[in-house]
Amino acid sequence: MQIKDYVIRRLLTLPFLMFGVSILVFGISRIGGSPIGIYIEHEMTQAQIAEVAARYGLDQPLYVQYLRWIGGVLRGDLGWSGVSVAPVTEMLPAKLTATMELAVFAAIVAIALGIGMGTFGGARRNKPADHITRVVSISGASLPTFWFGLMLLIVFYLYLGVAPLGRADPAIYAGLNHYTGFYTVDAMLNLDGRALRDAISHLILPAVTMGFSAMALIARMMRSSLVEQMGEDYVDAARAKGLPERLVIRRHARRNALVPTMTVIGLSWGFLLQGTVVVELIFNWPGIGRWMTDAVLQGDQATIMAYVLVTSVIFVTVNLAVDVAYAYLDRRVTLGA
Amino acid sequence: MAESTVRPAPPGLPAVPLEALRTRGLRFAELARSALRNPTTLLGLAILTVIFAMAIFAPLLVPVNPSGALQMPRNWGATNAPPGTPGHPLGTTPNGGDVLYGIVWGARTSLRLSLTVVSITVVVGVAMGSLAGFLGGKWDELLMRLVDVFLSIPELIFALAIAAVLGPSFGNIILALAAVFWVKYARIIRGQIMQVKQNEFVDAAYVVGESRWNVYRKDVLPNSITPVVVQATLDMGHVVLIGATLSFIGLAEAGLAEWGNLVSEGQSGIAAGRWWVATFSGLMVFLWSLSFNLVGDGLRDVLDPRTEGR
Repeated sequence: MQIKDYVIRRLLTLPFLMFGVSILVFGISRIGGSPIGIYIEHEMTQAQIAEVAARYGLDQPLYVQYLRWIGGVLRGDLGWSGVSVAPVTEMLPAKLTATMELAVFAAIVAIALGIGMGTFGGARRNKPADHITRVVSISGASLPTFWFGLMLLIVFYLYLGVAPLGRADPAIYAGLNHYTGFYTVDAMLNLDGRALRDAISHLILPAVTMGFSAMALIARMMRSSLVEQMGEDYVDAARAKGLPERLVIRRHARRNALVPTMTVIGLSWGFLLQGTVVVELIFNWPGIGRWMTDAVLQGDQATIMAYVLVTSVIFVTVNLAVDVAYAYLDRRVTLGA
Repeated sequence: MAESTVRPAPPGLPAVPLEALRTRGLRFAELARSALRNPTTLLGLAILTVIFAMAIFAPLLVPVNPSGALQMPRNWGATNAPPGTPGHPLGTTPNGGDVLYGIVWGARTSLRLSLTVVSITVVVGVAMGSLAGFLGGKWDELLMRLVDVFLSIPELIFALAIAAVLGPSFGNIILALAAVFWVKYARIIRGQIMQVKQNEFVDAAYVVGESRWNVYRKDVLPNSITPVVVQATLDMGHVVLIGATLSFIGLAEAGLAEWGNLVSEGQSGIAAGRWWVATFSGLMVFLWSLSFNLVGDGLRDVLDPRTEGR
């Protein structure tokens, strides 16, 4: 199959997949029964309750309720967020940018350190450096994010006093123009060095907490695929022509080892998206993850449904992009299998 | 996989009863020996032995709380006691809960959580995946689309949404995790069965007149199951990790002797320098999950020769 056909086929399945996801999300919101409990109060009479049910269409059959909901979603109406006391669509952009800024930083940390560590360990197979890489990467998969974040807080916030909480110092940010909503980018556009330092110092701890498990996953894959590449004939050929080991790795082995690592980088987006929930709760970050935990504790279904739907759209899109990139990079992949 | 398969009798030789050709279980001792040669697997097993012993002998280590074994006892006379306080060697929570009690009895909670979720998901996943892989056609198409949809939502977020809608309780955490985790098994076993059923020994079994059900039960399933065993081992750790995250967020009953719950109870005291509650109980989640990961990795190395040396 040609790559173009493959991409088109994947793009065509996307709407069906999202349709399935929307049914699942709607289904989840109804497993606890009718959501009418949020809208009624104890002193209401049966007639009043029936009126409320009729107003929100909750007296209709389930498929009608689903159609009403999905119709709203497609027109950009994600419902009323009880925790924010505002329409979900109105709150979403600012919170999503806050989360995306954090996620991008976490991804940079995870990818840079993961590839670096994996290469370092893989090139020194069965030496102490390699064992350390393995231990770090296995513990990364086992580390509870919420605990890791709290431990970092205890050390860097409580004892060393070097890390701040929240997203930014409001005193610094009040005077800035907000072009993008990404605080680091805004600080640069405002040519304000102090604001940039402030934004980055707020980002470091949550980004490390969030990126750690993804880093472990990437390091592990990078290590094993580098070990595999180092056994190939072309590596011996490069050595035979007198290339120093450092260049053999950098120019030859690492490039090929990066190809399978790509898929894992895509997968690790799932980790990052999941991480937002806990990390934003611990570091008091005003993104969609914190919004979700607030909604969960107050039973705010509109916000929960919106969050799950948005997250899964991001997740599916990134995975599609990674699959396509992988197909371009490695022509041996059998497409459509 | 290939090495555990059974070859049919070569032509011209007397027919051997199929039972005699099956090698199921014979390699167990050999496998166990090679698994135990790996130091990291041994480390994992050692940690697991300690935690399991803690769960089993919990009543001997810390006296059971009369108002419910998995309920944190409250000593309102000693709230926020630091580690080393007489009667509370690991300190107490802001609500006067003994941290040691939570650690020891929390091992039972984790064992109950992981065993329940893993056994439900393995049974459901293997059944669904077998239907798809063995029968193929319409069933397969339907199940795989369902699997695609389920895998489109990151698992923690999926479980969080379900548990949130059902309401905060430990039972609902179990339900939510079960609803999310079965998909992996369905996918694994389906892929395995698709491969295994193309082997000659499966045709051979049909030729000697075995029924479809018997071929599945005696030939296809046993030869497809090893990756499920590995995944189930890894999930024993993963389920507790995600479950603890859910109860940390606040989806378990308050006062349940569960590690994530304890971390959440200790979180508020951290700003005031009371580090012990969150540190000790979170460490238990880490050790639990780490040990199952180490053992699962070791198992994968011996059961799946393709990944050897990675």
